[in-house]
Amino acid sequence: MSAEVSGATDAPGAAGAASRGIFPAELLDRCISCGFCLPACPTYALSKDEKSSPRGRITLMRALETGVLDDDDPTLREESSFCLGCRACEPVCPAGVQYGELLEHWRSSQWQGRRRPPLARVLTNVVVRNWLVRRLGTFRGHARTATVAPQGPHLMLGCFERALFPGVSRAARRLRPELDCPADQGCCGALHAHNGDLELGREMARRLGEQLPGTIVTTAGGCAAHLTGVLGRDRVEEFSEYLVGRSASDGSLSVGELRVDGRRARVALQDSCHLRNGMDVWRQPRELIAAVADHVELPGAARCCGSAGTYSLLRPKDSRRVLAPKLDQIEAAGVDYVVVVNPGCQRQLVGGLRRRRSRVRVLHLTELLAAAQDGGLPRRRLRLPARPRRAQVPADEPAGLAAHLNDRPLPDDPGASGAGRPDAL
Amino acid sequence: MAVRGCDVALDPGVLAELESIVGREHVRHREGEVAPYARDATPLFSSPPDAVVFPARTAEVAAVLRLATAHRIPVVPRGAGSNLCAGTVPLRGGILLVLTRMDRVLEVSADELLVRAEPGATTAAVAEAAAAKGLLFAPDPGSRTVSTVGGNVATCAGGLRGLKYGVTRNYVLGLEVVLPTGEVIRTGGRLWKDVAGYDLTRLLTGSEGTLGVITEVTLALLPMPATASTGVAYFPSLADAGRAVGAVLGSGVVPATLEFLDRTCIGAVEDYARLGLRTDAGALLLFGDDGEPDAVERNLTRMGELCADEGALEVTVAKEVAQSEALLAARRCSLPALSRLDTLTVLEDVTVPRPRLAEMVDRIEAVATRHDLLIGTFGHAGDGNLHPTAVIDVHDPAAAERTHAAFAEIFAAALELDGTITGEHGVGAAKLPYLRDRLGDDQMALTKRIKAAFDPAGILNPGKVGS
Repeated sequence: MSAEVSGATDAPGAAGAASRGIFPAELLDRCISCGFCLPACPTYALSKDEKSSPRGRITLMRALETGVLDDDDPTLREESSFCLGCRACEPVCPAGVQYGELLEHWRSSQWQGRRRPPLARVLTNVVVRNWLVRRLGTFRGHARTATVAPQGPHLMLGCFERALFPGVSRAARRLRPELDCPADQGCCGALHAHNGDLELGREMARRLGEQLPGTIVTTAGGCAAHLTGVLGRDRVEEFSEYLVGRSASDGSLSVGELRVDGRRARVALQDSCHLRNGMDVWRQPRELIAAVADHVELPGAARCCGSAGTYSLLRPKDSRRVLAPKLDQIEAAGVDYVVVVNPGCQRQLVGGLRRRRSRVRVLHLTELLAAAQDGGLPRRRLRLPARPRRAQVPADEPAGLAAHLNDRPLPDDPGASGAGRPDAL
Repeated sequence: MAVRGCDVALDPGVLAELESIVGREHVRHREGEVAPYARDATPLFSSPPDAVVFPARTAEVAAVLRLATAHRIPVVPRGAGSNLCAGTVPLRGGILLVLTRMDRVLEVSADELLVRAEPGATTAAVAEAAAAKGLLFAPDPGSRTVSTVGGNVATCAGGLRGLKYGVTRNYVLGLEVVLPTGEVIRTGGRLWKDVAGYDLTRLLTGSEGTLGVITEVTLALLPMPATASTGVAYFPSLADAGRAVGAVLGSGVVPATLEFLDRTCIGAVEDYARLGLRTDAGALLLFGDDGEPDAVERNLTRMGELCADEGALEVTVAKEVAQSEALLAARRCSLPALSRLDTLTVLEDVTVPRPRLAEMVDRIEAVATRHDLLIGTFGHAGDGNLHPTAVIDVHDPAAAERTHAAFAEIFAAALELDGTITGEHGVGAAKLPYLRDRLGDDQMALTKRIKAAFDPAGILNPGKVGS
């Protein structure tokens, strides 16, 4: 410290600095600017530019908070959107900065009115409506039960997951039939919280918490972390966590084994960022994979795949830049399957591997475990017409299932092969 | 809040020239783009540059410096900005020259035991490249995953292995440096013996970006030790731990690690990392060695015995590598763990002759009490290097004043005990007001003449050493 600059600080609330009240001071004050977050940040890895690092973004947030920069500053707008929100900076942060929450506050301030990306507005407007969320799943045959048991545990269907990957909830219920799963449940609001509407996002989580009393079990890491932030850790269990906990207590999991070409399948996991960085759940999915197959650790398993919620739609080019090294790693790992624990990652990896015509297939953890439990592919799958490209793969191999899953249409890819076919699982 | 000696924005002609040198996409000058570069890891110092320039080649660095000298524009070189002396804060604005694009490890030569790298490669990346060939890059600063080797050389970074292995300066064989006037010089080289001329390599090492911009480093490597292990001893007080350190070094063992934490730090680290540390102790001493397994085991046992003889409450030697790593991790996260105690962390870096370590800690405690401050002290017991760390409320200007006063007394105390104001963090802007107390008038004058010889226009990192 020296006399000439003592008191000169960019920390809000410090002597002389005004505060706009955008960020809770206790969150923004935490950062000590040590820079330990830099190597963990995927966008810093791309840019090598401080402004695209967590530390640099916190400096920008402080400049916004103190009015040094205003809402229309182009760097603020760009960086609030370029950030993936993966929260990889949180576990490596020695000072305990809750970056994910800071980002939510940032976007809620920055992305108001015309500054909000139009596509984000559309998506959040769709899923805020309970009836529309139900409609999304109506023709997709996701799991459902007629009743709502008062104390749960309830399986959460999600908004986009029920429409895009309805097989996930069905597999979850096959593995744990006690999971209650009413179709009349809304979106958890993570989408809103991450896209500039933190208050609505929290309100939706509270509403879901009322619709599904007791323990909420979710197959989506992103939803799990958001619900935890609003409802508390004791109300939420991500599926792998739930499964490991239950099978440890009642020994009920009959796991089976997944085989490919007469050998045990080789399976890698792609972590869900918020599940790992926000909830510290990452051992459980690995443990479950290792129970039914040979688990192969990807070198960058904990690194964001670039899906990052709406990111892959809002910033498709950057999303693919983040994804590219991961696809290289997956292909180099020599695995049969890569397993995901979040629908966003599933969509991202399915799309990425398909573009590369990769032989590696993507499964949600529940789908992998259900296939192992069932001794491979359900019989219904056999009735589907085999396509020439998959002719070499025996139809009763799990690879056939995965190939089918990979060939399903993506929302941004209406002409994709397999469009309109019923789901196999 | 910007603190500027002179506040001259760059004129559009200069910006255009910068863009023609490094490419348009590698120059940032908008207010929001430069704001994140106003500070480094040092609290209380903030001043944005006028432009941030990312060169990719030595020739680009040289062209930028020639331009800056011609126009008398300040230039501050920067790596990852993890230094703790405000060494890369552009106090006078101007150009911030960020070297993170030059991040290649160029060569690891197992025959010659050296590595050649560009300045923006991280310390961890260099160490990993060396380890891939079974070699050790010994300097081990706490921020190794973040910090760049260029920054390590510029600050002569220390670390946890200083006692046995020395610090960065002991490993710098050669440098490629661009002078502020644009000439590119190569000092030293791949030679282990070379006394031709002044030792400019040593002069430039630790020069904190005030004499030239480092564009390539050649660093010495060592064979990778076969194994390493760590032990921990708890003492009732730091004075007891200090005696144990003397006993260890007097016994002929030169440990690779000899680190201490005081009571405040033990508590903070335990709260943060949950390692099962004993929080009722007054001091924790980490001791470790590396080398051949039987020698390591022998030295660890011997050190454990000496600690017990000096009144250790408890001595544990790590049984496996993972446990050993966890203990060292505890030391590495001392600063960040302390920082969780409040909102502003001011870390200092005094060094005293080894036998006076406990005395220095007593002085620090007395100063903290007198100024009603929470100051935790940890550091390198083997080097006599202490890191007293004050943790205060950022919203309390009176506490900041008291901290300022307290550290002025701590620096004075260190000098009284024949110590120095900074052991490994550097002078930067943070320690410059105290530098004269350490160097004296004649050395200060000589420092300024050396600076002027390298940098006649005074453009390079003004407001720091030599200015």
